[in-house]
Amino acid sequence: MTEPQILLEGFLQALAAGLLVGAIYGLMCVGLAMIFGIMRVINFAQGDFMMLGMYVAFFILVGLGVNNLFGATIGPYVAILLAAPVLLLFGYLIHRLLISRVTGARTAGLEGEGHYAQLILTLGIALVLQNGSQVLFGSQLVSIRTPLSSAAWEIGPFWGDFVSVFINKGRGLAALFSVLAILGLWLVITRSRLGRSLRAAADNPEASTYMGIDVDRAYRTAFAIGTCITALAGGLLATNYPFHPFVGLEFVIIMYAGVVLGGMGSILGAFWGGMTIGLVQQLSTLVLPTQLQNTAIFVCFLLIVILRPQGFFGRVVERT
Amino acid sequence: MLNVENLRAGYSSVPVLHDVSIEVGAGEFVSIVGPNGAGKTTLFKTLSGTVPAMSGSIRFDGHDLLAVPPHRRPHLGIAHVPEGRQVFPSLSVLENLEMGAYTEAGRRSWKENLKRIYSWLPVLAERAAQPAGTLSGGEQQMVAIGRGLASAPKLLMLDEPSMGLAPTVADFIFDRLMDIRRDAGLTILLVEQRVAEALQFADHGYVLETGRVVLAGDSRKLSADDRVRQAYLGM
Ligand SMILES: Nc1ncnc2c1ncn2[C@@H]1O[C@H](COP(=O)(O)OP(=O)(O)OP(=O)(O)O)[C@@H](O)[C@H]1O
Ligand SMILES: [Mg+2]
Repeated sequence: MTEPQILLEGFLQALAAGLLVGAIYGLMCVGLAMIFGIMRVINFAQGDFMMLGMYVAFFILVGLGVNNLFGATIGPYVAILLAAPVLLLFGYLIHRLLISRVTGARTAGLEGEGHYAQLILTLGIALVLQNGSQVLFGSQLVSIRTPLSSAAWEIGPFWGDFVSVFINKGRGLAALFSVLAILGLWLVITRSRLGRSLRAAADNPEASTYMGIDVDRAYRTAFAIGTCITALAGGLLATNYPFHPFVGLEFVIIMYAGVVLGGMGSILGAFWGGMTIGLVQQLSTLVLPTQLQNTAIFVCFLLIVILRPQGFFGRVVERT
Repeated sequence: MLNVENLRAGYSSVPVLHDVSIEVGAGEFVSIVGPNGAGKTTLFKTLSGTVPAMSGSIRFDGHDLLAVPPHRRPHLGIAHVPEGRQVFPSLSVLENLEMGAYTEAGRRSWKENLKRIYSWLPVLAERAAQPAGTLSGGEQQMVAIGRGLASAPKLLMLDEPSMGLAPTVADFIFDRLMDIRRDAGLTILLVEQRVAEALQFADHGYVLETGRVVLAGDSRKLSADDRVRQAYLGM
């Protein structure tokens, strides 16, 4: 291999890795976009909801025997899929019992619309989930590995006999599922009656009441969907990424950055925000030491926020 | 159809409405006029449930409205076109109308209803795909009215539809309201600052001042009343 061939291969490999991990980040961000971007609830526990999604999928896999039933290849994906409704319910209940006390009608008109209370409350929930998980699940690393995670597709060679890109099958599949999940959610949000009522409730809660929408329920539903989507991303990530009770801390910042980058309030924007972060993270490894990956993300984040404060997909229309 | 008796309501235990009684019969056009801060909007919000009632009763179409949660009231056949239009800015015009049709009745009659709404307010058809927040004030008012009609209501409540609009646009909207009333046989409850028009079109009217009904009756008689002529008609 010649020098340019090595460089090109490194670049393509990083690009592929960025796209794959970016798709999962995108899904995570979309979950937060439902809660923070659209419903404007500050949720610091989003990363821990993701962590919970990982553990629930893990226990469904090994505890409920899904592994034996479906085999080691398909089993993990079945477990991840089954974990989604559990986290949907979890999100619904958390909102009903706790979050609803610091959102909606109760805080309308308060200074910061209850954001301070949300900040403290969700930080508290995050701590309880982290420490509770540590007690219940221990702090050793676990993972939802599939044999696919140690197999790869080779694409290429592109340049004579050289320059091939290897796509990890596990990551490839996780990225594919992420994209499908986002498309599904996007269809629900843009095309369905439910999605329309959620957008209306976010746009103008009072007028939504005049339409006959139960606004509290709409907010709860959006919160549950957001929790479920992020947890789904967690499960997919876990097929390649060993995790522990504090894994949420590593990702909650990525999620907020992605949602802001995409322009608050846009589902597809949040996806591209997450994708951008994945790409920056992976491509930066070409020129920077790995320890600076996250620094690169934030330099990039700052640049974009300075140059395009409304995000890639900022709303043309402001909320009332 | 609508019967409000001795209603007291307000914000965080400060009453704004004291002892308000109002009646709207099926098919009637009733106007409520009064100065700024009289409590007209508060009355509408109490009817819709976004402001709680302190005492009194509201009956609508056989239901005790105060026992019905706010988000269920539209499903009984009440459409509230709120002050300041309050369209859903990021939703398209068509989606705004679809939100109006969120009620069971609205869903059932959506297709015919949409056709009728477009025939009354053709600009909505032209702008169907545009985000409602990018429309002009007059167009947004038409969206708000269309959205209310899309719910296939029995009672249409309009809170100052002419607010902030140029006189010609306001006239256009009043003309349309008369068409709508004639074609659809709707019961209409209107709050308006443009007292002359409000009384001209109405069957009867109420004058609300500082949370109390100070005058009520046939709208022709009200327009002829000296106090109304002096205070509201500038004569
Ligand atoms: N959210 C609120 N909190 C406290 N007081 C309010 C609130 N909204 C209105 N008020 C008060 O209630 C009174 C009646 O207001 P309302 O909006 O009902 O008047 P209105 O008759 O609709 O006036 P306008 O013609 O200006 O629309 C006013 O004194 C107002 O200050
Ligand atoms: Mg008013």
